[in-house]
Amino acid sequence: MKRVTIDPITRLEGHGRIEIFLDDAGAVENCYFQIPELRGFEKFCEGRPAEEVPQIVSRICGV
Amino acid sequence: MSKLKLASYWAAACGGCDVAILDINEKILDLAEVADIVFWPVALDFKYADVEAYADGYIDVCLFNGAIRNSEGEHVAKLLRQKSKVLVAFGSCAIWGGIPGLANFKRRDDILNRVYIESDSTQNPERIYPQTKYRVPEGELELPEFYKDVKCLADVVDVDYFMPGCPPTAAQIWAVIQVIASGNLPPKGAFIGCSNKTLCDECEREKTGKKVKKFYRPYEIIVDPKKCLLEQGLTCMGPVTRAGCGNQCTSANQPCRGCYGPVDGVIDQGAKYISALASVVDAGTPEEADRIISGIVDPAGTFYRYGLPGSLLRRAK
Repeated sequence: MKRVTIDPITRLEGHGRIEIFLDDAGAVENCYFQIPELRGFEKFCEGRPAEEVPQIVSRICGV
Repeated sequence: MSKLKLASYWAAACGGCDVAILDINEKILDLAEVADIVFWPVALDFKYADVEAYADGYIDVCLFNGAIRNSEGEHVAKLLRQKSKVLVAFGSCAIWGGIPGLANFKRRDDILNRVYIESDSTQNPERIYPQTKYRVPEGELELPEFYKDVKCLADVVDVDYFMPGCPPTAAQIWAVIQVIASGNLPPKGAFIGCSNKTLCDECEREKTGKKVKKFYRPYEIIVDPKKCLLEQGLTCMGPVTRAGCGNQCTSANQPCRGCYGPVDGVIDQGAKYISALASVVDAGTPEEADRIISGIVDPAGTFYRYGLPGSLLRRAK
């Protein structure tokens, strides 16, 4: 089975990778979209002053 | 003379540093006159395989933004170090961990649990966490290892220059690009695109030596637009933060958030700020000092807002 890897996905904010598997005839058998990045804003915003949160989460995506 | 070869990459970042480069606006055309960009995921479609195919040292200057959060970040940092003559830690995340570095106040397992199990928008009844290797019918997929701690770029590779800011300002970026193009590079290890004074040194607000009886959260007071914000009881990081941003926050009546990090010779911005606070608190007794200081909500998160991984603490216990 032939495998085509697109890494990284470009011209967007963040990290992404696409894995495409082709059958013997060259048709797409299956395709996986992967996001290899995690920062954990969901957790590290906990316990922080409410007025801080807009300034922190604006760093989820600066694009 | 052949054109410079430039690269820019983001590890654990938000893309704001990349957009700050684009914020030089029409000067991007001048940049294209002197440089070819050979890797820049936000703007151009080069792949890791392209970078791997470059000869060692092929890239003249790589502006690397983002913290090192996982094994992919470390791998690409090492790849770009090998391929670049000059590697710049670009922005506060690459230098000290930045906002993603706040994760070092939390435990790795608690982060994964919150994101993949507990979050209200997640449906994961089988409680599946991301795996570094995952078998699918067609083959094996891989994901990077999510590290226990956020690291700084200099923790994993040798770094030539440091350009602070969240993000660095477009004006400073353009100035640094011109310096790079001229070939007159500063000594290795230098902080570039910034001053070695503190923001306080450059601030035009009136300082009277007034001591602080109470600390306020920004919404609790109407700020006097002419007077020192720290003397008004706001936790302004200006006394311990490197100048170079153009005092953007304090000009907008907001206390300095500290994103340019400490000046040369200071190894821990938060510890330095504790020292600075001690000199402005107006307390007659230790008990009163305790009461005043305890009015600061979340001191660790405030004093190490952009730099916990690069500080002496590195992480919470």
